[in-house]
Amino acid sequence: MTARLAQLWRSMPLRLAVLLVALFTAVSLLSLAASYSFTQRSFEQAIRADLRQDLAGFRAAPNARAVAALVEAESRETDPNRLVLSYVAPSGRIYGNGAVARDEAGFHIISLDAARSEYDGAYLSLTDRLYGGVITIARSRAETAALRDVFLNIVLISLLPTALIALSGGLVLARRSKRHVEVMGRALDRMTGGDLGARVAVGPRWSDDLAHIGGKLNQMAAAQEASVTALKQVSSDIAHDLRTPLQRLALTLEDLERQTSENTDQAALIATLRTEVAGMGHVFQALLQLAQVEAGTARAHFTQVDLAALCQTVVEVFDPSAAETGHTLKLSVDAATPPVRGDRALLGQMISNLIENALRHTPAGGEITLSLNRAGGQTRLVIADQGPGIPPEERDKVLQRLYRLDRSRNTPGNGLGLSLVAAIAGLHRADLILGDNAPGLRAEVRF
Amino acid sequence: MKLLVVEDDATTGNYIAKGLREEGHVVDLVRDGHAGLIAATTGNHDVLILDRMLPQVDGLTVLKTLRGAGRQVPVLLLTAMGDVDDRIEGLRAGADDYLAKPFAFGELSARVAALSRRPQALEAETVLRAGDLEMNLITRTVSRAGQTIDLLPREFALLEHLLRRKGRVQTRTMLLESVWDIGFDPGTNVVETHVSRLRAKVDRPFDSELIQTVRGAGYRIAS
Repeated sequence: MTARLAQLWRSMPLRLAVLLVALFTAVSLLSLAASYSFTQRSFEQAIRADLRQDLAGFRAAPNARAVAALVEAESRETDPNRLVLSYVAPSGRIYGNGAVARDEAGFHIISLDAARSEYDGAYLSLTDRLYGGVITIARSRAETAALRDVFLNIVLISLLPTALIALSGGLVLARRSKRHVEVMGRALDRMTGGDLGARVAVGPRWSDDLAHIGGKLNQMAAAQEASVTALKQVSSDIAHDLRTPLQRLALTLEDLERQTSENTDQAALIATLRTEVAGMGHVFQALLQLAQVEAGTARAHFTQVDLAALCQTVVEVFDPSAAETGHTLKLSVDAATPPVRGDRALLGQMISNLIENALRHTPAGGEITLSLNRAGGQTRLVIADQGPGIPPEERDKVLQRLYRLDRSRNTPGNGLGLSLVAAIAGLHRADLILGDNAPGLRAEVRF
Repeated sequence: MKLLVVEDDATTGNYIAKGLREEGHVVDLVRDGHAGLIAATTGNHDVLILDRMLPQVDGLTVLKTLRGAGRQVPVLLLTAMGDVDDRIEGLRAGADDYLAKPFAFGELSARVAALSRRPQALEAETVLRAGDLEMNLITRTVSRAGQTIDLLPREFALLEHLLRRKGRVQTRTMLLESVWDIGFDPGTNVVETHVSRLRAKVDRPFDSELIQTVRGAGYRIAS
């Protein structure tokens, strides 16, 4: 969960959403604070103006007695929670709904009687001398305090939900764009894995920029596929075009051989040439076969192939040759292995190439094992040798056409054998796994 | 034998015709599918050697037209393409055998010889003989000059194949196809090894060599 959140947090849209929400919140809070302080100040000013006006009203009275009478009259109708009036007459008598005692620190409002003592809160007061007495008018600041609640409510009711909605929107967008990015990632993985036909499936709800990138990726993949196809076509064309002159060369050499008496130097030279020409023919043959196998058209005539019997036949064919070079060819076949759908000749070619490869690289006295069994719902064909094996980092490369390990440069073979094995496995939708036989190569084909 | 070669490449066609004539055959050589079709329907040939890629009418069409017209002449199809689909396509169209370029003349010659004698009646022979060698097909025993020879099943099959085609060359690929039912190229000299093992049992202990190597072509047992 935390890992998924952390992953989501790294996504672009969510970061943008969070940044925007933070900015929006900061600006809103600032402007709210500004308008709060502005409103509060104007409230205070209004109270001050009211106080001055109140005072002016009392000043209009002709003498101290009139002021005292006015204060008494007003006090009776005034809620001290809102407005406190007090007049200390020259005689020392206190009128109003509150008595104000003055000390050095300022004014304090003291209740006149117990029944009116509940009021509290902050007041703004104005005190002046009037006809020998002291008048004090204080107005409650409760409204200013209420203002703070209003602003707090604004923050709670409007700003917080807005921020939350924006955040969840960002989260939804982030997840969607994450899905879209993952679709692209998967297509790229498949392309890297060698599936040249892989494309990004751009959905109708994709954002324009992602759809654009997806489209560009598809263009790139199509261009790459086209160039690979062109390359294959070229190698196939070359093989085609060279076959006719090669055919002429082979026939001419044979003609020459027929005209040359046996066991002469010339005959030996001609034999060497014929071997070379036959080798060239094999390379072309292999290249063409590779192109055809990769084209996949052979699937159309797949039949049920008894792999167990085929393994037996191939081992039988190779057995005397293996014995000749001092190798032991072991066969371990589970006869109950069900048949696979495929092309018998191509599967035989695949097994032959693997055995030939094993024979070529295993030192004399070594053992080569061909085994066939069924495990985990798959038919497994394994050819294991005791040669030097293939270093892990080279295993992918040896499947490329004409690639040869440095140490194999001087051994026979044209570098097409394993490419053909890989292509035939691919044609049968089987996996070719090159592993370590410790020591040696372990080639496994899983159907 | 009277043979018809339909091959558009002049050099290849001439060499094939020349080689076959040297072997004593009568050879008609034409260069395109149209001429090939006319020659094949009018001449009475024993075997037709047909290139798959031809100008005007391609080899497969020629073959299909011939078969459609009920002509049963054995056809050896030559092709410059790969193996996989072409072989099946060619055989489906009615070819009796198939040879991929570049091929050796010996291979072509051996296959033509095999095709020309294809419609032979399978004789219910029980004993095959060559010189002082005897193979009993019922007891599955082989003896030479009165001495019993022990053979492995495949060695027996190989010898039987050669004995049944006495006097005719069998190439490596023909042996692989017939004895092991293998239509692919195992690459190394596997057939040579099998033959040399057979020779070690059948020929080496005796005076004369029954299994002969035909230079550039294959093996045969002299008739």
